[in-house]
Amino acid sequence: MFFRILGKSLVRRKSRVALAVLAVMLGASVSSALLNTSMSMSEKLSEEFRKFGANIIVLPQSDTIEVGLPGISLGSVTDQRYINESQLWRIKKIANWSANVLGFAPYLYQVVEAASEAYASNVVMAGTYFDQAVEGVTTGDGRPWTTGLRTIARYWQVDGNWALDDNGTSEAMVGTSVADRLRLGQGSEFVARYSNPETKEVTNRTLHVTGIVSTGGPEDSQIFVNLAIAQEMSSRPDKVHDVQVSALCVNCPAEKIADEIEYSLPGVDAKSVRQLVMAENDIMMRLEQMMLLVTVVALGASALGVMTTMTTTVIERRKEIGLMKAIGSDNLGIASLFLAEASIAGLAGGLLGYGAGLILSEFIGQSVFGSAVSPVLLVLPVTLGLSIGITLLAAALPIRRATSIEPAVVLRGD
Amino acid sequence: MGDVIKASMVTKDYDTNTRALDNVTLTMAEGEWTVIMGPSGSGKTTLLNLLGCLDRATGGELVIAGKDVTKLSSKELTRFRRENIGLIFQQYHLVPYLTALENVLLSQYFAGTVDEKEASQMLTEVGLGHRLEHTPAHLSGGEQQRVCIARALVNAPALLLADEPTGNLDSENGRKVLELLGKLRAEGHTIIMVTHSPQVAALGDRVIELVDGKVASDRRNDLKAKAENTCVSAGY
Repeated sequence: MFFRILGKSLVRRKSRVALAVLAVMLGASVSSALLNTSMSMSEKLSEEFRKFGANIIVLPQSDTIEVGLPGISLGSVTDQRYINESQLWRIKKIANWSANVLGFAPYLYQVVEAASEAYASNVVMAGTYFDQAVEGVTTGDGRPWTTGLRTIARYWQVDGNWALDDNGTSEAMVGTSVADRLRLGQGSEFVARYSNPETKEVTNRTLHVTGIVSTGGPEDSQIFVNLAIAQEMSSRPDKVHDVQVSALCVNCPAEKIADEIEYSLPGVDAKSVRQLVMAENDIMMRLEQMMLLVTVVALGASALGVMTTMTTTVIERRKEIGLMKAIGSDNLGIASLFLAEASIAGLAGGLLGYGAGLILSEFIGQSVFGSAVSPVLLVLPVTLGLSIGITLLAAALPIRRATSIEPAVVLRGD
Repeated sequence: MGDVIKASMVTKDYDTNTRALDNVTLTMAEGEWTVIMGPSGSGKTTLLNLLGCLDRATGGELVIAGKDVTKLSSKELTRFRRENIGLIFQQYHLVPYLTALENVLLSQYFAGTVDEKEASQMLTEVGLGHRLEHTPAHLSGGEQQRVCIARALVNAPALLLADEPTGNLDSENGRKVLELLGKLRAEGHTIIMVTHSPQVAALGDRVIELVDGKVASDRRNDLKAKAENTCVSAGY
């Protein structure tokens, strides 16, 4: 009988029920969309952050020898050390977080005299990887795993083309300041002259410019060639000064990845770029807080909508409620009826809102991240729970009003 | 037959300045058809609400079917009402989206036992066996009132309370309802009815007149006169 009353009551007042469902649906769709986006966002945002450069720097361990007398420091002498290029594959082979290592780029620096037809100037030349296959490392489908600046420095603005890693190449990329100073453009040639401070041997290399780099940072004043050229010119085969690593930090702190790199590659210090990591965490936290706030506001608005609709319903049905009480229903019987109606509205609104939320999160994913946001299954029970919970909460006041109806009052005055 | 109602010094105040019932003392016998009359504001509906356990007395003692209802909690009063009182309203108060049968079943549902056969039988007894699946919108006023009577009777209450049961009916339907009440009286039901109409009041066994919340008169209808007061002569 309860379900007969419930069913007929819902059918009879379908416009009111539809209004309540719509109110719940609106809140549920926002919370479903934001929850879905939020749960996928960490990964998406991390991917986005990685476009802005490395977040871990790997340096060779240096022995620093203090020089002086007891109580009087005369400074320190640091022994120049290198990391072996042939060991860099280990960075991608760390124990637990290797999948999170998106890429790395080694650097070998030297000051060269760069001379174009017009001018000559001393500049820092960095030997690095642009898109280099790393020996011994393959992708999931067996292809060589490549890494370099094209992976970790996607924020660089390159006017022209990226240089190649081919050993035989003489390609170089130059920073925009260098290009201005030496009057270089894409396709220009210049000579890089390196004078070895120890052997005094001078090495000349004619390089031609494939692209002009603009980052707004120190890169604008540097020349980039592939690592093999730099090693050859400076007679430092297999050596690099440091390695910049781009790691995806969704479920782990960058420090853990750095620790694993240190463990995997003996003789190095791996440090997370603290400011960058903190800024990323801060942005994520703020975004999550904003989403939570929007969700709370949306659910609050839904609750108000449901409360208004149900209050109107109680007022419209006060004689019916009074009659039910007069012929023997207790408050629990009246409350059960309204709670059941609210639960159904909450469930229907939650289901519809979940569906609408998926569409909304897809839209957010495409418009903000340029890729789809995959549905997170956990969001369904959370959305349904929130919808039903909010509906029941919103129904509390109208139900209290319904149970306080005095049959003698509403049935009199006929 | 014993008294089904014993009211002793019952008062009902709505606020400090409004006393609806003023020290009413009366008894009503089981199986009797008692009519309560009086001008508007005399307290007859208030008395009916107290007897129907829809409201509480401010003072005094009210014993219905052997139970002092003034001492019952709200929950106990609700239970007592559904087990002992059948209510017939002037405006029927049927649930509009339920059929005639479901409206009767509703009363059984709150009492804890739903029996469609018994509910159908009750509707058949009031002459609506052919209208079981009709909603109130598809029933005449008289038919709705008979559904209301079937609903009031279905749980076999000790007391049947009727508030102007013919007040909204035309003469033909009013006659049918009064005949039905007469039949119930003959079957031994205790009926307490509020009416403005002296002709309708003449059908009862006893007429209590209230004025300003007090019992102004309490008389028994003369059996001979009552016999002459057929439904037709009562204006129906």
